[in-house]
Amino acid sequence: MTFYITTLLVYAAVDIIACIALNMQFGVSGLVNFGFILFQAAGAYTAAVLSLPPQSANGGFQQYVLGLQLPFPLPWIAGAIAGGVVAIPIGLVVLRKLRGDYQAIALLVISIIANIVITNARPFLNGAAGVSLVPPPLADQIGVEAVNTYEYQYFYVVISLLCVGLVLFAANRIANSPYGRSLRAMRENEVAAAALGKNLLAQKLTMFIVGGVMGGLSGAILVGFIGLWAPAGWLYPETIVLFAAIIVGGRGNNWGAILGAILVPVGFFEATRFLPNFGQPGLIPAFQWVAIGSLILGFLWFRPKGVFPERRRTFPNPSAG
Amino acid sequence: MIVGILAPFTGADAALGPAYFAACLPAVRAINASGGVNGRTLSCKQFDTRGDPADAVPAVRAMIAGNTNLFMVIGCTSDEAASVMPILEQSHIPAFCQTGQSEFDKSNFKYFHRLVPPDAYDAYGMVGIAYFKDNYKKIALVFGNDIGSQTFVGPATTAIQKLGGQMVINQAIALGQPSYRTEVQALINTHPDVILTEALGSTDATYLSELKQLNGGMIPVIGSSATIDPVWFKAVSDAIGVPDLVKYYQANDTPTDFKGPGYDEFKTNLLASAGDFANAPKYVTRASTIHLYDGVIMTALAATSAKSTDHTVFNPWIIKVGNGGSGATEVNKYSDGIAALKSGKAVRFNGAGGATFFNQYNNSQGGYIIANYDAQGNEVVAGQLSQDQINQIIKLAGA
Amino acid sequence: MSLYAAAFGFGLVSLAVIAVGAVGFTMQFGITNLINLAYGDIMITSAFAAYFLNHAGVSIWIALLVGAATGAIFSFLLNRFIYAPFQRKGTPLIGMVIVSLAIGIMTSNLLLAFVGSDNVSYHQNPGSTVHLAGIILTTEQLLLIGVAVVLMLAIHALLRYTRLGKAMRATAANATLARNCGIPTGRVIDAVWLITGALCGMAGTIAAMNSDSFAVANGSGFLITILAAAVLGGAGQPYGAMLGAVIIGELTELSAAVISPEYKAVVAFSVLVVVMVLRPQGLLAKFGAMAAAG
Repeated sequence: MTFYITTLLVYAAVDIIACIALNMQFGVSGLVNFGFILFQAAGAYTAAVLSLPPQSANGGFQQYVLGLQLPFPLPWIAGAIAGGVVAIPIGLVVLRKLRGDYQAIALLVISIIANIVITNARPFLNGAAGVSLVPPPLADQIGVEAVNTYEYQYFYVVISLLCVGLVLFAANRIANSPYGRSLRAMRENEVAAAALGKNLLAQKLTMFIVGGVMGGLSGAILVGFIGLWAPAGWLYPETIVLFAAIIVGGRGNNWGAILGAILVPVGFFEATRFLPNFGQPGLIPAFQWVAIGSLILGFLWFRPKGVFPERRRTFPNPSAG
Repeated sequence: MIVGILAPFTGADAALGPAYFAACLPAVRAINASGGVNGRTLSCKQFDTRGDPADAVPAVRAMIAGNTNLFMVIGCTSDEAASVMPILEQSHIPAFCQTGQSEFDKSNFKYFHRLVPPDAYDAYGMVGIAYFKDNYKKIALVFGNDIGSQTFVGPATTAIQKLGGQMVINQAIALGQPSYRTEVQALINTHPDVILTEALGSTDATYLSELKQLNGGMIPVIGSSATIDPVWFKAVSDAIGVPDLVKYYQANDTPTDFKGPGYDEFKTNLLASAGDFANAPKYVTRASTIHLYDGVIMTALAATSAKSTDHTVFNPWIIKVGNGGSGATEVNKYSDGIAALKSGKAVRFNGAGGATFFNQYNNSQGGYIIANYDAQGNEVVAGQLSQDQINQIIKLAGA
Repeated sequence: MSLYAAAFGFGLVSLAVIAVGAVGFTMQFGITNLINLAYGDIMITSAFAAYFLNHAGVSIWIALLVGAATGAIFSFLLNRFIYAPFQRKGTPLIGMVIVSLAIGIMTSNLLLAFVGSDNVSYHQNPGSTVHLAGIILTTEQLLLIGVAVVLMLAIHALLRYTRLGKAMRATAANATLARNCGIPTGRVIDAVWLITGALCGMAGTIAAMNSDSFAVANGSGFLITILAAAVLGGAGQPYGAMLGAVIIGELTELSAAVISPEYKAVVAFSVLVVVMVLRPQGLLAKFGAMAAAG
């Protein structure tokens, strides 16, 4: 049971970071990034190929680039950076010229293209099978046996939560700063914000990169925990699930993102595993998905603006009194 | 106690889970009829991995956390085996997995057991049929680009090359597409003698149907062991018609003859399980169902032999029951095994899928047969590759 | 050379299938501002409805009409009981996308529970194969192309020449203004869902007919292709969707011939991205069709 709880905590941490990242892009800045999962994947693959030994190891059954076997925390830092680096060219192309929902579709399609390309370009990241046997953080230092203990699980939970804290701190600083006000202005009314002299493209690109960095970090944490990463794990519905999380939780604010992450990808998806078994095999799992869909609908019906809607920031009338 | 079926029940590979569930039911039926394992009855429970290695990790953790009376696990397909096996090993849960992935060819997992051939050897078998039996020279490869099928391409290519054949085209096709006509036409233009294929789901059915249309008739096809399967038969025969499938198709498979006391016991119990799972009888000739049934019975006999349901105690006995020591009595049914053990003898289980030969990596290799279908979709043994031929390929391909 | 001609011919079938679906999808978006992510799942549900009838002995062409009816009724009820109430509650646009996702998940999994995960085929007679200037098509495929052409002409006629069509276009341009002009927008929207739902159901059945073997899991693949075609032509623009379908359909097959089958989807999608960057409003622009994000 302990292991299940620590698993859920780590998954929650990963999803919280991903939702905060998505909230930075969508909730605060108004960028609908339907291709978000690509950044998590970039971070995961980078952390993986930097932690793995060269591809000839383990019998040479995988083909991938690099394989530098770097010690923790370098792969995680590199994963975060990779997320940001991937965001730059995509952002420059997509954010410059496209409006609103077109960006969403373009980003969605880009993440699908990346998935197909990596599946088929086998020597790059081992294609459809993905990279596996990724050493968890500190595995070289403490030995393989120690990785299987409760202590290691607690350690992993702690460093994941530390990352959550770091990301939350950064996100709050951005959102509550004058820069954050400027972002919200851009989200609410682009034309007015531009008229006020705000450099929209620079702001959008910065937020895109920031979200990419956070997304990359979430991927690095996840891959260190489960030990493998394959294209099947980052198909386009994953992004939509994260969007559901921040919509249900409440967009535009970090508490909404955190609640949404705990509710949807962790809560709904995991709690439904414990529905009682009945009927033919395959019936229950299908109904688990129906339950997930119903829960999402239910939350959106009763709280269309999210459980924690964004605080309307009001300012006192300076001329009164 | 519970036998966990850890497999995809939803998503793209949703067809796999029920087939494995159908393996558990007859096994526990036979086991419970003889008093269970050391007096404890078994039941089957499904755990959906959703076909995604990241989703599989919480699934297996939830399974272990929520079921302290977990006896063993069956399933773990290529979709998730790599991420769940370390966890099962850590928790000392014996598992019979349905993955041909090469990373398990020489792994150190003691709790991992595999009765299906590794993909590389399956590929060698297919090439062996093309080369030794039929003397085909121009060979086309059509494999799905998913985890389970792409691992055939490398070994097949090497084997063809070393045997002096010619690989005229190698197509990695995306699964589940509505049409492959351009790919089919490209293949036809290379004039292959035979097509080696594994592309599951609706893919082979769509592809072969379009091949027949565009070529004005079928080209000989050799499928992997996964294509000998009632679901594949139904999909492809619906698409190209039974007569062509019977005439033009062969496959490589592990020796099974669907006869004998071990198989009959399986079949009887499977049909009797229709009350619990209406579709169970349709898996009566499905290799994965048969192998996993054998796995459950073997593990139950192992626990009985070891006189313990402690996983760490009885896990090594699984190999002993599978391979048999000297002087072991061969049994084909759980009830016979119990009787033999009671009278103090050691047992070897030769079940529905034939005898087991575990190697030091817990993989079982029994040689290969050449199979095709009859008009009812039953597997028919059409020949065999000799051990020499197989060894020749393995040596040439440098495995 | 013959491979390219053959690929071109296959592209014709592909684009016919995509066009029917894309036009329905884009009209849903243009008139009701809803990105209906459940579209692919409704397509496959309709395909299965036709399947059951077909295996009960009915000709596939009649079953096709049943598929269309299934799509129409399903989509209409979906709007009546889910989408419209959520919209009235003030759910923001992105929230509606999530609602449609949830519906899609529920639909495909209920279907999975009902029909199982097997791959099935219709009982259909492909007819003889026609060879024409390197193009190789069966009579059934030619008929499918014909059906698609007829549907496209029908939609064209609807939009240009009927009062309903004009009411649709008015509602799409500005719903409030349309209402103020006395157009019964509620009834227009009902009609839109019925008609586009019929297109959706028909597209699903045609796609299943063309693919010779299908299962529940095929639904999500349909969605992405149709989405790409719709956006390529300019979201909300039916003629654009037709053009988008032509481009995506042909590009997919031709790139399988020229480059490699592994990357055929990549080529089509990359073209979409390039077009979107070079011409953001889509190939046939429709100003004001897209609301700003959020």
